[in-house]
Amino acid sequence: MSTLIVSIPPPRLTRSRTEPAPFPMPHAALTAIVHFCLVIVVAIAALSGGNATAQSSQTEVQSAQPKLVTPADMKSGALLMKSNEEGRFIEAPRLGADYDVTVSGPTLRGRVTQMFHNPTEGWVEAIYVYPLSEGAAVDSMKMVIGSRVIVAEIKERQEAKRIFEAANAAGQKAALMEQERPNIFTNTVANIGPGETVVIELEYQEPVRQSADTFSLRIPLVVGPRYNPPPLVQVVDLSPGGEGWGRFVDDPVPDRSRIEPSVLDPALHAPTNPVTISVRLAAGFPLGIVKSHQHAVSETQDTETTRTLKLSSGAVPADRDFELTWTAAAAATPSVGLFRERVGDSDYILAFVTPPALKETQPAALPREVIFVIDNSGSMGGTSIREAKASLIDALGRLKAEDRFNVIRFDNTFDVLYPDTMAATPANLVDAKRFVDRLQASGGTEMLPAMQAALADPRSGQDNRTLRQVVFLTDGAIGNENQLIEAVAGMRGRSRIFMVGIGSAPNSFLMTRVAETGRGSFTHIASPEQVDERMRALFEKLEQPAVTGVSAKVMGHAADVTPEALPDLYRGEPMVLTARLTRGEAPLSGSIDVAGTIGEQPWLASLPLSGAVEGKGLSKLWARRKIADAEVARTLRQITMQEADQRILALALEHHLVSRLTSLVAVDKTPSRPQGVRLTRADIPLNLPAGWDFEKVFGGPLPRDGQPGNLQLPGQLPHRLPPGQRAAAPPHLKQTRVAGNFQQVASASAPRPINTQQPHVTLPKTATDAELRLILGMILLLASALAMAMRFRRVRS
Amino acid sequence: MKTEEAASVLATRRQGLHAGRIEPDVMFAAALAILGIAAMTQGGWIFAKAQLAQILLDRAFNESLATGRPVKPWSWADTWPVARIEVPRLGARVIVLAGASGQALAFGPGHVESTPAPGDPGTAVYSAHRDTHFRFLKDVRVGDRIDIIQFDGRKSQFTVMSTEVVQWNTSGIDAASPGHRLVLATCWPFDARTAGPDRFLVHAELVQLAVPDAAFAVVREPS
Repeated sequence: MSTLIVSIPPPRLTRSRTEPAPFPMPHAALTAIVHFCLVIVVAIAALSGGNATAQSSQTEVQSAQPKLVTPADMKSGALLMKSNEEGRFIEAPRLGADYDVTVSGPTLRGRVTQMFHNPTEGWVEAIYVYPLSEGAAVDSMKMVIGSRVIVAEIKERQEAKRIFEAANAAGQKAALMEQERPNIFTNTVANIGPGETVVIELEYQEPVRQSADTFSLRIPLVVGPRYNPPPLVQVVDLSPGGEGWGRFVDDPVPDRSRIEPSVLDPALHAPTNPVTISVRLAAGFPLGIVKSHQHAVSETQDTETTRTLKLSSGAVPADRDFELTWTAAAAATPSVGLFRERVGDSDYILAFVTPPALKETQPAALPREVIFVIDNSGSMGGTSIREAKASLIDALGRLKAEDRFNVIRFDNTFDVLYPDTMAATPANLVDAKRFVDRLQASGGTEMLPAMQAALADPRSGQDNRTLRQVVFLTDGAIGNENQLIEAVAGMRGRSRIFMVGIGSAPNSFLMTRVAETGRGSFTHIASPEQVDERMRALFEKLEQPAVTGVSAKVMGHAADVTPEALPDLYRGEPMVLTARLTRGEAPLSGSIDVAGTIGEQPWLASLPLSGAVEGKGLSKLWARRKIADAEVARTLRQITMQEADQRILALALEHHLVSRLTSLVAVDKTPSRPQGVRLTRADIPLNLPAGWDFEKVFGGPLPRDGQPGNLQLPGQLPHRLPPGQRAAAPPHLKQTRVAGNFQQVASASAPRPINTQQPHVTLPKTATDAELRLILGMILLLASALAMAMRFRRVRS
Repeated sequence: MKTEEAASVLATRRQGLHAGRIEPDVMFAAALAILGIAAMTQGGWIFAKAQLAQILLDRAFNESLATGRPVKPWSWADTWPVARIEVPRLGARVIVLAGASGQALAFGPGHVESTPAPGDPGTAVYSAHRDTHFRFLKDVRVGDRIDIIQFDGRKSQFTVMSTEVVQWNTSGIDAASPGHRLVLATCWPFDARTAGPDRFLVHAELVQLAVPDAAFAVVREPS
């Protein structure tokens, strides 16, 4: 879920920047000889456990005080109170969060409402860190703090920060929402009064994901190491009499490879963050199976096409992501979706086209020519190369007799198994398997020649029947993206390029673009253990091409379409594109024409724009995609950083999106409330989640200046909190525990520094063991000389 | 030692060799000597590699400057030179590599991924070993000038504002912070022989920025 860091900005008791004293540097070797034995002990300690001692000293906790934590320790959401030790926090009670998601056809709108409480008697500044899914476009934030309501506006990042700091210094309530990473956001809230309750509501827009016949949404609730669910396993049910038409049914034991995450004992650990989730699902088509994969849900069917889902156990701890999938009722999966939205004088279009599926029993219509490229550089050593080899041998075994293939291995050199692709005869396959099996991981990474070799196609232009697929497997960062993309763009011909990245390749974004340029896909495999499983899924997909040579054109209007180049479509995958149309006052006419080839048959679909249905937030999805396009163009140096920034800024400001360059900022001004007048229900511009009692949240005594007021004891607030959690965090106890560790701030009007706890850059290890080795060597030589001297004396005597 | 005695010792040893066995204490001493030489060679190799690599890096970097494209210093390298750091007062001059993996750091300072290039908005971080390339950091003083030339010809000039010791995982460096900053990081303390959690940081701020073929433009005067 999220992390809220509250800091009481005290007169700072921080470690000041240290000026290191100039260190006398006694010659290490001389010192070592004197402290002969001592150094050996040190050397052994350093070689065996130097790092371990460093780590343990960092997590040490003073037993007399409440447990101090760092933001990095938080695995789920937390309210952290800044202690007087720099960088350490005390975990404070959290009160609850509600996720309300409305799915309308192809998009979803998420509304997150969170309630936090300041249990201290000081004024605090809160920093609130939370994850959202990667495609989410955040466009709205409202905040109710005590008796004030704040609606945020989009501003350029620096300007937003300046406005926020000015308000903060003036003692005004202010909120700032910034993007840290494309999927991590922070809210900073200044001047939360003693005992006040904070309600934050933010909204985002996101496309619904579709894979095969399954539509899905995910709500990330966990910060930090992500809980990795296995991919959705489906089996095909071809019932007799169905004339070859069947449907997917979910694997009967989808959890088989999953170990239930352990649940913390609330008596021993800080209470986990209770979350409620509700989803209104209006798929736009008759619904089949609706399934929540991580949480038990109760379901009410409103109509054939809509459902409402709620967590059946009420609030749950935010210890895993919420994942929902749904399918259409049998044989009712829509094959086309066309939606439009008018914003200003532009129309935004979102189109889904699922090509007619090949029957399961029918073999792939086109023979294939597959070129496997495998990276056997040194960094692939260990599990990676073993798994990669195993999956490659498996893939070779799956080739059909009419297919052709070749294998290329590369490190800083490369070898091509055959001069040209060969038929997949048993003898050739045995040959190839032996070649793969003998691969050893060593050497550097030089991708370009291997890619060029894979793209060299002697039958280019003559053979359009065969589907040429290049599977390029590497764990390296691409150093020369430009060259690689140029090579792919210039030489791709009829080849399709499927990039597979193993490990934490920093350039996965660019690998995606290499794959897109090559009209294939990018598969990222995070850990070596997943190589076999993911590769198998990829190879299965590659055997089932549905439509090739896909292109889309908007007829009748000037259009800005993204993505520009469309990939081939594989079984059940929809083609998704967004576009902005400029038509002025003219009526919406014309069409989107999608063309491609199914098997050997040309396929053409024309989507009349006049038939498009009103959708929501499409402009934001288009803008988000264009922002990503600009980032890529900048990385590829197609445009300069300044040009990219200009584009991103213009898009984000126009579409009210939080981005790398824009933030949402709110300063206490709406509504300006006379002193002593309470908020009424009508004043709250946000819908409180069901079960949140307005009177309980915003009622109670009024805050007097500088006095604890409006105090909402955590125990009174959400009725749905499990008793165990309420008991685990009695408010008075928290308050007394907290009091000793805090600096009290007398007034809210004093200017205060902003301590934004940004994610730290982790610094690499920057010490060599060269000196240790020299010392060790010298000691050994000395000992050797000593031994020789002793022997010499013995021989003489 | 008298000559006859020495001769008899040699004779004894020769006999031993002829008999096909080496006395255990000789073997022990020889093994110790071999291990010792091996350890010293390894230690020396680390320093030698750090020095030698810089020569190759310098050559590759100059080629980069001329062509404006990244050039690998040797064909099997996984990294390439991205910038040159110069501290004129100390006469220090060192080539920075892309990425701060352990492999790259053996050859030169690394530009920590996920941080911007120097001169771009945010905080750039260069990291290097305290006992090789960044040994000079211990002599850096507040007010020192740091010149950075990047492989695409961009030049920037920084001034050291402060130094600081932090833990490796709570560096307090925010790569996306406003301003144009540079941090040089290395292990601390400088005279320690074992790896520890502490890092020494040199904080610097941009004074001047120039793009290729353009005159230096003053961004701000150091206060």
